[in-house]
Amino acid sequence: MPGLVRDLEALLDPRRVFSQPEDLLAYANDATHKRVMPAMVVQPTTPAEISRILGYANKNLISVVPRGAGTGLSGGATPGADSIVIDLKRLQQVIEVDKQNLTATLECGVVTQKFHSLVEAMGLFYPPDPQSMLVCTIGGNVATRAGGSRGVKYGTTKDYVIGIEAVLPDGEIIRYGGKSVKMSSGYDLARLMTGSEGTLGIITKVTVKLLTLPAFRRTMVAVFAELEAAAEAVSAIIATGAVPSSLELLTKSSLETIEAFIPLGLPKDAEAFLLIELDGHEGKVNEETQQIIAICQDNGVRETKVAGDAAEAERMWLARRVLFPATARLAPNVLIEDATVPRSQVPAMIREIKRIADLNQLIIGVSGHVGDGNLHPGILTDKSNPELMRRAEKAMGEIAKEALRLGGTLSGEHGIGYLKAPYLEWEFQSAGVDLMRRIKKAFDPNGIMNPGKIWIDGGDADV
Amino acid sequence: MYRIEDYTKEINRCIQCNFCLEHCPVFIEDGIESSVARGRLNLIQALLVEKNLAPSDRAGELLNRCLLCTNCTQGCPSGIPVDDIVITARAELQKKYGLGRGKRFLLRQVVNRSSTTNLATWALSMARHLNMVPDEFPEIASQSFEQLVSVNIKPQGEVRGKVGYFIGCATNYLYPEIGDAVIKVLTANGYEVVIPENQHCCGIPALVHGELGVAQDAVRWNADLFAKLEVDAVITDCTSCGYMLKVKAAKTLAKDDPYQSKVAAVAAKVVEITDFVTREGLWQDLKAEKELKVTYHVPCHRAWSPNLIQAPRKLISMLPAVSVVEMSEPQRCCGAGGSFFVDHQQLAESIRARKLKDIHDTEADAVITQCPACRYYLSQGLKEKMPVLHPVELLAKAIRAKGFYE
Repeated sequence: MPGLVRDLEALLDPRRVFSQPEDLLAYANDATHKRVMPAMVVQPTTPAEISRILGYANKNLISVVPRGAGTGLSGGATPGADSIVIDLKRLQQVIEVDKQNLTATLECGVVTQKFHSLVEAMGLFYPPDPQSMLVCTIGGNVATRAGGSRGVKYGTTKDYVIGIEAVLPDGEIIRYGGKSVKMSSGYDLARLMTGSEGTLGIITKVTVKLLTLPAFRRTMVAVFAELEAAAEAVSAIIATGAVPSSLELLTKSSLETIEAFIPLGLPKDAEAFLLIELDGHEGKVNEETQQIIAICQDNGVRETKVAGDAAEAERMWLARRVLFPATARLAPNVLIEDATVPRSQVPAMIREIKRIADLNQLIIGVSGHVGDGNLHPGILTDKSNPELMRRAEKAMGEIAKEALRLGGTLSGEHGIGYLKAPYLEWEFQSAGVDLMRRIKKAFDPNGIMNPGKIWIDGGDADV
Repeated sequence: MYRIEDYTKEINRCIQCNFCLEHCPVFIEDGIESSVARGRLNLIQALLVEKNLAPSDRAGELLNRCLLCTNCTQGCPSGIPVDDIVITARAELQKKYGLGRGKRFLLRQVVNRSSTTNLATWALSMARHLNMVPDEFPEIASQSFEQLVSVNIKPQGEVRGKVGYFIGCATNYLYPEIGDAVIKVLTANGYEVVIPENQHCCGIPALVHGELGVAQDAVRWNADLFAKLEVDAVITDCTSCGYMLKVKAAKTLAKDDPYQSKVAAVAAKVVEITDFVTREGLWQDLKAEKELKVTYHVPCHRAWSPNLIQAPRKLISMLPAVSVVEMSEPQRCCGAGGSFFVDHQQLAESIRARKLKDIHDTEADAVITQCPACRYYLSQGLKEKMPVLHPVELLAKAIRAKGFYE
């Protein structure tokens, strides 16, 4: 498309316009498996450049796909054919960290972990901690409402965004919110853009709330012979009000996977392993630790162990952290689900996932942020085997359906992307999805912003 | 054997997580996802496996614009050997993107360094004319280190064992002082050192250019020399030679190559010198030199032994007057990448600039590292303001040696 190249090169630094197939190939997918070659990749460095690009695309009816680090697990950054991928990694300034107001304003391409390090060095705390935080960007986190293991106590990205700057498809730049903690004026456009998965506009800048860094952290593990008992303990812990900063579950299959990858001496015969982290003032944390141990004992825990020092805490966390790499070695493709249910329904959901795995003759590892009901079934598959892939996708739909039946949601923290788009009507019925379509139409009348995501045109899935 | 059919499955194991974005020094500079491991794997898959993309200039640029530093491999959740796959692609497409005939001939002379060094030295000076080495490349020693040492050096005092010493090209031609230090430390601690004559290059410089044949000849030659030695260990002072001898040599040959058993026998004995001395506890009679603050640049080719990252730190901690000041990101690549910096000057310099800042921030007196390419490239960047040393040189200085090795 020589005309397109020439046009785009006039809109931004020509060195930031990529049209050769060797470069486009690297953008043909995110962390999901479908590959579609875009027409172009551009790397703007300012909102003004983005405004020019969107204005041009809107006028010429070319679809655009915003992209952060391409780590999404639901396919939100998978390009459409003939689309322009807008790679936002070059907008990477942290504009301000305001200690007095406990806020920070930063550009969309800032890497989440780098932002963590920056604010933590100042004694501040930005809790959302998606697993990909070493590479993923704040813009991507906001666009997908990314979460992480601290969600149980601190919520997810959506709970921190108080201000937003975004470029709309017609090139207009809107700003909503800022440092005011309270805000009751107009529609909450910051909330609306948060989780919009690039379908309404491009988020270029956000203002987020910060907390002060907790003075003390403690990590402990609780080993249960039975999954039910662990789940009961989780409910009881939440009910006491002693909310851990992380409450992670590893089940038997995950424990076996981890042990095969890196022997940590995890109990092989246990059904469930809870990894618990508490943070806050030392006295309170100590008190809560005792409370939690007592609750675990009431629920028939086999063993509890509190980390004596940072090194031991690190070893305990290692088990959780290596789960992803360990699972990644089992199969060429892993569909990581994030169906989320009310906490009380976690045992039921785990049973259903096992049933679905057996039914479809699949291996599905179960672990997750059990404290907030957000499970991560990992469906092992191989995209070079279409029949296996079909069963894996079928299982994904069944898991989604089951989560909804139990009063949950399709996605806790990954977003809908294209992968779960066929299921959206199950959650919101046609009236709900139709309203979303109309909202999109108001923002993006020509439908250029990341089409094919969140819902699909033409109905329901065939599960 | 660095053929695409051996790596098709490995490429397919990439789960596309993009976590390699964190580790790739080239991506950090270029900022484009085609310059990172995942992008390269997908490109190689399209070029060589699915064959739905024809080799182009841009493909060649992307394949050659990789330092083979292995940082992505070390951080990969799926443990994919990205550097092996890039080498494979270079070998498969060597005719298209590799060295021309002239450069290949010279490379072969340097790798097959002859005992007289004349031909190798001549080849290096030719290489200078052909801009294969940078202008400021140090003069080649008129006599190589191999020519200066005897083939068998007896230990001092009580005999603890016998080791073979693989002399890398950098020690041989550029940094004979490292060789002196290695021999001093080993013999002063009771090790007999055997240095087989007519050693060849380990082969890694040929391998990284996809010159499989040249690399295979080097691997076989050295296997012949070292497999027959009755020694407890084969010592190397270079982390990249070690990587080659320990891990890559076997991969360079076909799986059923008759040399595999010899190569494996040598690989089993290969130990890097700081790893060896810290493991064996070789630090008696240490003498306090003047106070020295050093900072440690960890070579990228470190993953072939679990001890390489800590051994130099441990070694320094045993020296009476030397202390380590940690730089920020000590494992960050310096940009040298063997001879990568020659062909990719601007890119390598930007990578190095980050490293130099980290080094200057420490206010250390010297940098230590076990890789001669890092040493050379950092020295150039530091403009002689701060020496770059092999940790074993500091140990050698601290040993109160008595009258051996004139």
